[in-house]
Amino acid sequence: MFETFEHTADLGLRIRATTQEQLLEDAGRGLFSMLVTNLEDVRCLQERTYRVEGVATDYLLFDWLNELLFTFESERLLLSEFHVVLDAEGLWATANGEPMDLARHRMEHEVKAITYHGLRVEKDAVGWFAELIVDI
Amino acid sequence: MPKGAFNGPLERVNDCCWRIPKSYKQGMLVDGLIYADDQLIEQIRHDQAAEQVANVAFLPGIQHASLAMPDIHWGYGFCIGGVCATDPNEDGVISPGGVGYDINCGVRLVRSNLFYQDVKPHLTALVDELFRNVPAGVGRGGKYHFNKKELRRLLGEGPAFLRDRELTTDGDLEHTEARGYLSNAVPDNVSDRALERGAKQCGTLGSGNHFMEVQVVDAVFDETAAQTMGLAKDMVCVMIHSGSRGLGYQVCDDALKKFRSVPEKYGIALPDRQLACAPINSDEGQEYLGAMCAAANYAWCNRQLLMHQARESFQTVFGRTWQKLQMNLVYDVAHNIAKFEEHTTGGTTRKVWVHRKGATRAFPPNHAEVPAIYRGVGQPVIIPGDMGRASWVLVGQSGSMDQTFGTACHGAGRAMSRTAAVKHAQGRRIDKELAAKGIIARAQSWRGLAEEQPDAYKDVNLVVDVVHKANLATKVARMRPIGVVKG
Repeated sequence: MFETFEHTADLGLRIRATTQEQLLEDAGRGLFSMLVTNLEDVRCLQERTYRVEGVATDYLLFDWLNELLFTFESERLLLSEFHVVLDAEGLWATANGEPMDLARHRMEHEVKAITYHGLRVEKDAVGWFAELIVDI
Repeated sequence: MPKGAFNGPLERVNDCCWRIPKSYKQGMLVDGLIYADDQLIEQIRHDQAAEQVANVAFLPGIQHASLAMPDIHWGYGFCIGGVCATDPNEDGVISPGGVGYDINCGVRLVRSNLFYQDVKPHLTALVDELFRNVPAGVGRGGKYHFNKKELRRLLGEGPAFLRDRELTTDGDLEHTEARGYLSNAVPDNVSDRALERGAKQCGTLGSGNHFMEVQVVDAVFDETAAQTMGLAKDMVCVMIHSGSRGLGYQVCDDALKKFRSVPEKYGIALPDRQLACAPINSDEGQEYLGAMCAAANYAWCNRQLLMHQARESFQTVFGRTWQKLQMNLVYDVAHNIAKFEEHTTGGTTRKVWVHRKGATRAFPPNHAEVPAIYRGVGQPVIIPGDMGRASWVLVGQSGSMDQTFGTACHGAGRAMSRTAAVKHAQGRRIDKELAAKGIIARAQSWRGLAEEQPDAYKDVNLVVDVVHKANLATKVARMRPIGVVKG
């Protein structure tokens, strides 16, 4: 589950999930929901695989989202479904989506970057929680 | 006090300056100084921007004070509107966060020999043509393509590289800050990822607060300076606001990733990870500087190509060449950058790295770095406002050298968050409201227009009044928008 929150010039993304894997998957959807309004209309026609190394939970989230942003920036590929598996050194993931089509996709924000400002990932009795701010 | 407001000390220095004493937080090396009047300081207190001014005062080698302009608002790490000068000979640092992701985001102003009455009958056609011709919005590539070798030359040379393709002139270079070229650029320090992001984006506007506007000179306050710039009442101009696009964002991101462990390595304690920095004289610092300067050169090329496309659109609509329309560049200024400049503090003249994060260089008359044509009046300082009210042209004054490392404000500054602005719009058609005021606006997204609506910004006139009163830069001309192109 994700939601955006206010930040004066930019946008915040808040994610709650029961597992860390789900947190990372929802963060991926949260990121692309900032790029495209009708994320539900993005079809799963192409797949990309990812390997992101790191053990610090906050940097792992940061680096994962950066990889996804680079996919969009370099290939104009919109991603809407994510599957993440963790191991001792980091994450493996697949992401599915389709090339941006301005006739069908309502593009919204250009995300310049994920920032470190206010970046946090926490685990408590209920599950996982993360917040981050993206530069718009 | 609203939630998230700044509760720290703000001591009045004078009518337009407030101090956060360095005793506020252990670790502050200098005071914070915020330029604002009584009205603006109340708005500034509402978020954590002032806290960020205090945090910047932790940076090693910082000189004089952590400064903020009257358009200050909450950013990430540095506030937007922040200025910080560091001395390499006092273990000074360079901080990518003090430049921002959009390296050399900036503004340029182009004049013409057209007046409002000439353009008014063609205004809708002109804005539609600009909207068609100038790539804007998320994911839209440009029409100028550069292979990797060409891109590296462009990063090394700035807009001078475009001369062979007849996309720039000597006059354009002369009227660009630093002639559009920072000699510290090291294109090889720019990663393949950054090159890939930037390859198809040179000559594109982007989205967010970037824009291209058709404006009219609404009032002239300094006839001599206005004449020197070729500006006159009712003259039609074009203002362009954009930066280094994906290439610059990636350069900043690459540096921040490399800098994750750097502060610890050099024993630098920071209150916010986004302030990550490296000593200027370290390998890490030098590597970032080379890449940052290359990205700055790219940004000047981007604005050059955007201007070229604006000139093309005017040619199409008015059936005359841009030279016949006298669409000359008045000036181009950077407002997200770090520059190595000579300044005098505490009676000592030294070269410092001036970080301007949402702040504009404002050198006074007779400064050696001001182009010869403007040396008698001062460097033009271009201040975009919002799409409904006004933008400004100022000239730098001596007060900027005495107080702010040759710096003035960069815009109006946001008064509302993006989310709050969309709520405030309540589904209203901002473009129709602007049309009722004689402003034709074209945007790729309704939400983008709602986020950037005039009410989302502070009143730029108040911001400019403070800068004028503090003698950082003085008023030359006020411009009003008549056509807006947004991503």
